Amino acid sequence: MKGKYYIQASAAISPQESFSGHFVPQLPTLADKNLLRIKEPDYSVFIPPNSLRRMSRVLKMGLVAALQCLRNGGVSMPGAIITGTGKGSLQDTERFLKNITEYAETALNPTPFIQSTYNSVNGLIALQQKYMQYNNTFVHRGFSFEHALLDSMMQLNEGNTDVVLAGAFEEISDEHFYIKGRIGYWKEVLTQPAELLTSGTPGTIAGEGSAFFLLSNQPGNDSQACIEGIKMLYKPTEEKLHTALEVFLKQHNLEPADIDLLITGQNGDTNHDHYYHNLVVQYFPATHSLPFKTLCGEYDTASAFALWIATRVIKEQGLKKVLIYNHFYGDQHTFLLLSNDH
Amino acid sequence: MAERVFITGVGMISAIGNNVQENLRHLREQKSGLGYTRHIDTIHKNVLPVGEVTADTPTLATMAGVQDTPGYTRTSLLGLVAIQEALQSAGIKDARELPTAFINASTVGGMCDTEKVYFDILDPNKEGDFLKYIDTLDCADCTQRIADAVGIDEYVTTISTACSSSANALMYGARLIQQGLVQRAICGGTEALTRFTMNGFNSLKNIDKQFCRPFDQQRNGLNLGEGAAYLVLESESLVKERKVQVLAELSGWCNTNEAFHPTAPSPEGDGAYEAMKNALKMSGRSIADVQYVNVHGTATLNNDISEGIALERLFGTQVPKFSSTKPFTGHTLAAAGAIEAIFAVLAIREALIFPNLHFSQKMEELNITPETQLLENHPVNNVISNSFGFGGNNASLVISKYEG
Repeated sequence: MKGKYYIQASAAISPQESFSGHFVPQLPTLADKNLLRIKEPDYSVFIPPNSLRRMSRVLKMGLVAALQCLRNGGVSMPGAIITGTGKGSLQDTERFLKNITEYAETALNPTPFIQSTYNSVNGLIALQQKYMQYNNTFVHRGFSFEHALLDSMMQLNEGNTDVVLAGAFEEISDEHFYIKGRIGYWKEVLTQPAELLTSGTPGTIAGEGSAFFLLSNQPGNDSQACIEGIKMLYKPTEEKLHTALEVFLKQHNLEPADIDLLITGQNGDTNHDHYYHNLVVQYFPATHSLPFKTLCGEYDTASAFALWIATRVIKEQGLKKVLIYNHFYGDQHTFLLLSNDH
Repeated sequence: MAERVFITGVGMISAIGNNVQENLRHLREQKSGLGYTRHIDTIHKNVLPVGEVTADTPTLATMAGVQDTPGYTRTSLLGLVAIQEALQSAGIKDARELPTAFINASTVGGMCDTEKVYFDILDPNKEGDFLKYIDTLDCADCTQRIADAVGIDEYVTTISTACSSSANALMYGARLIQQGLVQRAICGGTEALTRFTMNGFNSLKNIDKQFCRPFDQQRNGLNLGEGAAYLVLESESLVKERKVQVLAELSGWCNTNEAFHPTAPSPEGDGAYEAMKNALKMSGRSIADVQYVNVHGTATLNNDISEGIALERLFGTQVPKFSSTKPFTGHTLAAAGAIEAIFAVLAIREALIFPNLHFSQKMEELNITPETQLLENHPVNNVISNSFGFGGNNASLVISKYEG
């Protein structure tokens, strides 16, 4: 998909100081687990105490990032709300599974079941904003946020609206961290983000976060960046991946050397980092690159945080063309091209 | 002008049959698939009726031709059985022949299998085969298993908007075609019954202990079901190039949100009304062109009031024949939109209107009643198919007779 989709506003909750507005990338120090947690904002500024008490973690982080994004853009009623999440509310899913066993399937509290539904964040945003139009939720690992973006771009192309709220949210629970650890998702030895990329071991460090964007087909006064194209590849061979990159750049009349910054999802996992390494060696040997997962950890929708970083650096550093290349455990690969057009 | 989108293949499995023909036969015979679970270990097994697919999981694996490959969840297997029929029905021998999108829908992924081993997975002292089910916890697993088995890789994704999931998958696939990103999209959903979901709906006091009675004054909730269904969507230009048979046209669609309540619809049916109205507008048809509405009709107290009022608001005194087919299949959640879209195709092709089983008494809030008889030789040119869900997510599709 190719076009001009202007990012009018954004907001991110992440393991970085991204929500407060004073973002300076910091490599966090891990205490005892290969796991990066978000810096929790003061949710009570956004959500009344009665509602707040009932809401589980990912609902809070999803809803508040969305509300802040709308505030930042001065928009109360977007024309579509489209989200992505790989795992939804893990906390609620785990709680309901436990309740079923613990209470032997009787007198169960329905709240965790309701909140475990993948579109519950989307429903909450709509409820809060009294919003009544297009609403969709993608739940496909490293293609969750990507399809939320593609759907948003199609909504804008179709002329249904001129502003779409698109975002993603993901949490990591202790329980899920343990489970995924059993099948090699994380590094076995405590590995600091500063050493992540040179660790030379399989697995990576877990992360979480929530990021939302207001996209428009019209440039605005405060446009942060412009999405020019997206290309997804499912389980490609490296050859197919490289050919797709060449075609993608060509469609935009670009050479690899025209890319000012390459943001990569490199995460120090020796099973899968070769995709990044080989692509950089072949196409971007001299291009400045920013591996973002040392800042946020690995999760299904980490690419939403990469996009948020891209909007920052494009503006602050006056970059013209930025390419994000991310994949999730080697299965879902995405190129996202951004410019400073506004 | 965006390309028209045609339905060229259908495949399904539900409590009333392992393929489209069996489903059609049981619809004609007015034979409900509701009963009691034989596959789920739950205290509700003799209490809460369900629409369960007869075959056990190993049998499904054999039907899908993957009996020698472990690791497929029941969710994946139901999907695999349905998609193989859909491809065959569209005359597609090898899905790899064209860049194709697979847009799947799921509400709880592989929960049907993971819930059985979840506490073993959490126990550091336990090792074993169950570890290979860890990655089936999410919704993407079934989609990728199915995509890999049939060889689709251009666009592969999963939608989860509760009970409207597969209606949204159909819309999304149709839009990918209209935007020129693919010429062919296979869309639908798969849902296996789980203890998790049964207890979830039961905790909401939404399940009837009797067989569900949509649009009946005495209705008292839904019955859950399981199944899978996929529709092959192709662009008009591809259909012409392939000279393939068109089963029907997906002529209109709309997705709205209701912003009323996380699990209940508004009493005035605002979301349902908007979804139907706008889908019909997009299809270029008028209310007089609609012969049949396959309603969401879950038989919950709230849904049927809200949907019924929306029908009366949209159609006035001229509400077309309508029925809920959930007394046949149960409410199959993520698969429901696609299963019922296929029923809409069958209504058009077979000139049939399906009866709303288990109806006896008109709802006091409504002036309308569902069709309770099987109507044969009843020309149907346009069907509205409704799917409404948690989070206020409403989806309506318009499926139309192919006129060439």
